[in-house]
Amino acid sequence: MIIFLLKRLLQAVVVMFIISLIGFTIKDSLGDPVREMVGESVSEEEREALREKLGLNDPFIVQYGRFLKGAVQGDLGQSYFYKKPVTDVILSKLPATLELVFGATLIIIFFSVPLGVYCAIKPRSWLTKFIMGASIVGISVPVFLTGIFLMFIFGVILDYLPVFGRGELISVWGPWETGLFTLDGLAHLILPSITLSSLMLPLFIRLIRSEMTEVLHSEYIKFAWAKGLDKYRIWFRLALKNTMLPVITVGGVQIGTMVAYTILTETVFQWPGMGFMFLEAINRSDTPLIIGYLVFVGLIFVITNTLVDLIYGFIDPTIKVAGGK
Amino acid sequence: MALLEVNNLKIEFPSRHGVAVAVEDVSFEVNPGEILGLVGESGAGKSTIGNAIIDLLSPPGRVAGGDVFLKGEKISSLPASRIRQIRGAEIGFIFQDPMTSLNPLFTVEEQLMETILANLDVTQESAKQKALNMLEQVGIPEPEIRIKQYPHQFSGGMRQRVGIAIALSADPALIIADEPTTALDVSIQDQILQLIRSLCKKRQVGCILVTHDMGVIANITDRVAVMYQGNLVESGTTEQILQRPEHPYTKSLISAVPRADVKLKRFPLVNYIEKASVGFSQIDVSNHWLGQTSASDVSSVAKGEDLLRVEHVNLRFITKNALLAKNRRYIQASDDVSFTVKKGETFGLVGESGSGKSTIARVIAGIYPPESGRIFFADQEISAMSERERRPIRRQIQMVFQNPYSSMNPRMRVQDIIAEPIYFHKLAGSRKEVEMIVGDLLDHVGLGRRAGIKFPHEFSGGQRQRISIARALATRPQLLICDEPTSALDVSVQAQILNLLKDLQDELGLTMLFISHDLPVIRQMCDRVSVMRYGKILEQNETEALFISPQHDYTKNLLALIPHMDHLSREGLMVQQG
Amino acid sequence: MRRGAALLASALLATTLSAGAFAKTLKVAYDADPVSLDLHEQLSGGTLQLSHMVGDPLVRWTQELKFEGRLAERWERIDDRTMRFYLRKGVKFHSGNEFTALDVKWTFNRLRTSPDFKAIFAPFESAKVVDRYTIDLVTNKPYPLLLNVATYVFPLDSKFYTGFDENGKSKDALVKHGNSYASRNFSGTGPFIVTQREQGVKVEFKRYDDYWDKKSPGNVSEIILTPIKEDATRVSALLAGDVDFISPVPPTDYDRLEKSDKVDMVTLDGTRIITFQLNQKRVEAFKNPKVRLAIDYAINNAGIAKKLMKGLGTPAAQHSPKGYMGYSEDIKLRYDLKKAKQLMKEAGYEKGLKVTMMAPNNRYVNDAKIAQAVANMLAKINIQVDLKTMPKAQYWPEFDKRAADIMMLGWHADTEDSANFIEFLAMCPNSETGFGQYNSGNYCNPEVDKLVLQSSEETDLAKRQTLLQKAEKILYDEAAFIPLHWQDLAWAAKKNVQLAPVVNVMNFPYVGDLVVK
Repeated sequence: MIIFLLKRLLQAVVVMFIISLIGFTIKDSLGDPVREMVGESVSEEEREALREKLGLNDPFIVQYGRFLKGAVQGDLGQSYFYKKPVTDVILSKLPATLELVFGATLIIIFFSVPLGVYCAIKPRSWLTKFIMGASIVGISVPVFLTGIFLMFIFGVILDYLPVFGRGELISVWGPWETGLFTLDGLAHLILPSITLSSLMLPLFIRLIRSEMTEVLHSEYIKFAWAKGLDKYRIWFRLALKNTMLPVITVGGVQIGTMVAYTILTETVFQWPGMGFMFLEAINRSDTPLIIGYLVFVGLIFVITNTLVDLIYGFIDPTIKVAGGK
Repeated sequence: MALLEVNNLKIEFPSRHGVAVAVEDVSFEVNPGEILGLVGESGAGKSTIGNAIIDLLSPPGRVAGGDVFLKGEKISSLPASRIRQIRGAEIGFIFQDPMTSLNPLFTVEEQLMETILANLDVTQESAKQKALNMLEQVGIPEPEIRIKQYPHQFSGGMRQRVGIAIALSADPALIIADEPTTALDVSIQDQILQLIRSLCKKRQVGCILVTHDMGVIANITDRVAVMYQGNLVESGTTEQILQRPEHPYTKSLISAVPRADVKLKRFPLVNYIEKASVGFSQIDVSNHWLGQTSASDVSSVAKGEDLLRVEHVNLRFITKNALLAKNRRYIQASDDVSFTVKKGETFGLVGESGSGKSTIARVIAGIYPPESGRIFFADQEISAMSERERRPIRRQIQMVFQNPYSSMNPRMRVQDIIAEPIYFHKLAGSRKEVEMIVGDLLDHVGLGRRAGIKFPHEFSGGQRQRISIARALATRPQLLICDEPTSALDVSVQAQILNLLKDLQDELGLTMLFISHDLPVIRQMCDRVSVMRYGKILEQNETEALFISPQHDYTKNLLALIPHMDHLSREGLMVQQG
Repeated sequence: MRRGAALLASALLATTLSAGAFAKTLKVAYDADPVSLDLHEQLSGGTLQLSHMVGDPLVRWTQELKFEGRLAERWERIDDRTMRFYLRKGVKFHSGNEFTALDVKWTFNRLRTSPDFKAIFAPFESAKVVDRYTIDLVTNKPYPLLLNVATYVFPLDSKFYTGFDENGKSKDALVKHGNSYASRNFSGTGPFIVTQREQGVKVEFKRYDDYWDKKSPGNVSEIILTPIKEDATRVSALLAGDVDFISPVPPTDYDRLEKSDKVDMVTLDGTRIITFQLNQKRVEAFKNPKVRLAIDYAINNAGIAKKLMKGLGTPAAQHSPKGYMGYSEDIKLRYDLKKAKQLMKEAGYEKGLKVTMMAPNNRYVNDAKIAQAVANMLAKINIQVDLKTMPKAQYWPEFDKRAADIMMLGWHADTEDSANFIEFLAMCPNSETGFGQYNSGNYCNPEVDKLVLQSSEETDLAKRQTLLQKAEKILYDEAAFIPLHWQDLAWAAKKNVQLAPVVNVMNFPYVGDLVVK
């Protein structure tokens, strides 16, 4: 267990190091941050002076060395736009993104499991064909369009739900503010969550369906039928548990990647999370923030993978997380 | 009145290409306490009958005709709710592979209890008691502890005992055992068969035992029904069928069983098979590419001298990792293993699963590095070579696995699969030459060169094994390591493959390391043999000497456990081998 | 005494009256929020919009582009280099400090150190305090645009910014990228006080109780400004009733908003010119005025304004929009494909040209689409365009490098004056004087330079007008650059928000005067 966690920690460090190196290599092609700080009529000399002051004229090695030196102390630099440390900015945007991912995850779980299971046990029914067809459509419609469509229907025409932002927030702890405990906050969460889940939900339905189909064809399920068990017990207790095992691995990682998929959804709904922040940072050439975000997302990927492995080991009695055969 | 009566059963599998008839006009009966053996090769329809009786045919299979009566009540075409009451409660089922038939995520207790509670009207408490009782009856030690464990914590044999316990837990009148011992080691096989037999007799439970193994039939059945391509060709008492078979298929099936008692030159073929395989074409090796040597070949060794020397090889696997070395747990997979293989001979490694025989094969092939010890191939120490230096040697040592399908890229055509190593080791000049070699190889293993354009999934298990042999030959190896090459195959196909290997050896002067758990096969194939257990070699001798006068107790025990074919008289059958 | 009492009474009455009418909350959605509370940190539309909410200039523009006194009650020219401003008395900063001439001087001096504003204030010599409520602004030379520049002076509370903050930094430090005191704290004289601000998420304002302009009809007591980057979302938010007022309005939604019975749209002819510049250094052919003219003739400005801009662009043939000094009626749109082909033939480029073009895709309204349309139009006279569009963050470095043969540029004159266009876009590039900084075409005509420089010192407005019109005419005749249109401005708001009186072509609505029914 300790070896496992140490290995993962090392992996995280390596991933973050490589990402930062790539980020630094490409940062100059992302635009000129100085241009974004000054008005258009400001002279070239003024801009040059500012560039010099920010250390943007230093050689690559010097700039990267400065970054690494800060990074080992947890300092990823200063965002040009927010005028705050990159880590502070990211952490302040994290709750919004996590809540959005949480909302989308709930939707995915509540819909994908019953629908996926239904499709597996009734492969020939018209409803299954409809669900599978609809899921293809769901995958192929861009998130952006889904968002605008929902916004138009539920916001503009029906006027049920708010179309942008997080609504009323309550401070939970430190900079952590949540919209999960206010009605207004929850109402604001609905459309973005549906939009974010629109891509993953069909994938999960298909995943659960195919895993469940496989499980239903397995020997132990056949044995369960031969034992004279009730069909509901076979489907929902035995087969479902076996189905969820691979789904958790694949799905868990997917949900981790959803943190990165929030970019479009957050942009459409003006959701003040990390994804939107990242897109804005790109538009503003806020390079420290761009690199910081990429490094952070790398870390999240490693963390989710680790969590998924831990959960898997916890559920599957045959796996010892200690691993390392 | 018979316990189970099957009359004129017909089973079909409709598909887009028409209706395939899997079983046609099959009738038999089973009496209480009687064990009926249903024997035949794969595709004979024997398992389909078992599934049809409890209405568990996999879709789109359906019973197209005939009736099934249980205790006089017609149980074919019953509504789903009624047939469910029969499953488990009236008819228990034992599956082939205890590894896959138990749900890995539930404890043995949960799996036993759910069966009891679903079928019997008992309290939770008494169900628990009964579950414990069942485990005890099937001979699981310390049942109180074991019952709380998960299937993966049991060995294969123990798991099958659990399977039997579950099948019997709701006191059925009939059990259907579908190849219950095929996946088990020889020593366990016998125990399980005896367990089934004793339980059936004690409880007066009828049993249908589906198997492809004549040895099993001979061992425990009372009566036998022989299936061939969906038809029941012959039935009678076990003694009658084994000693006086009437149908030609039965005769040839019996004769094809590898014999443990005497070594024959070739394996008798099941010559009743209508679509006999293409005879393999001879190649004039001295003039053919296969007979040539390439610059990278290791200097050849004269026939009868040591080609391979394995000296004091040790290898451990970590079973529990830990930061501190003292907390780690290992399993000793190879324990001071030494042997030599002479040029041109077939050297056998025999032992049960987990004995380390496959591990040593992988060490020789360079898949695992040994922890200590040395391996010489044609007097070069290959265990000390770098990956680069090893490459020409690796080419000359090829492996044939039990399940060739998993080692073939399903998206590649057979001709490309075989050509790959020729290109990789640059063994032929032009593309045209390679195509010709591949064609010759396919001819040679009896598939015909036209097979090259097909994909692996279009072939049966035996044909795939031929492909993998062709692929192994494509590097012109000196040493062929065969790891259980026929364990997954039917007797008739096994005979073909093993004969092919023998022929190839004669023709190409191949040296073989032959690994098997099957003693009769070892006796027929090998010149010398080593017996392994727990990573150690216990005994090593000329094959004939070892079979006639085994020295080690374990060897004696193994030989004693070979299913007795006492009933079997092969006289009169020998004629057919020609 | 009686008069004082009456004043007091009317003040009280106004307070009570307005208190009733007040308590209106206005939810505003712009495409971006101000980058800082320090009004001198960045010269941008966002900063100026904020400046007019939290501050007041000495003078401001009216909708008709006339000057209107704010913190300066009146002004007079003392000599050709000096303008005297008489300041409003009794004005209080948000901090409670009283507003005096010293604050104007302090603000003026700070502006002159700001990298963004120093260029605008370059013609000035000094600010001289005459007395507590009188100040003189003195220029180096006679300067006709003195009042134009005075619209940029939003006096700040000099006492408030004196001293050191908790980090030991000077409170008046002007820092572009750091967390300075002035970027987080503000004290001015404007109608609104910032109560809460979360960068990129929202800014909340409340009305300043002691705001000096009691005559203002404005009744908005609270503003919540949310940046909504995405056009479609911003429009949906308005239609869904989640916000009261949005800007900008994307052209694709004009029809929808015009037809909606829930909202009103207000548009004004804009002053931002969209142009293409033809680089004479990179392409030999562009040195030939005939080729430039051919290109101008080949492009259908009116079509682009109508189809692509949905009518919310005014087709242009010169820099100066109507109302600016250099604007002349007789400069007409050119579009004649035949003539264009003829000119190409005459210039010897009948067989055509291959050129590169770059344009931003998120800077101006429909920028990438416009560039594509222009490229297609040029194909008709055998000019093959290799077009590359990119986000503005990447575009500006490319523009600075003059990386393509044809580059798109939009410009709005900070001084609301014709000379500014030409100084930046059409005068001979000169790195010492800074003229022609955005002239990527390298067009250079000493005569134009002379006219513009003259105009900068000409205080006789009639003469000045002649100079500028002449300059524009030369540029037009020589097709120095390719003008497309002035980008119109559009705002949309709920019906109860009376937007029309407070918007202006500079795009800083005077929200303090906004009436919400």
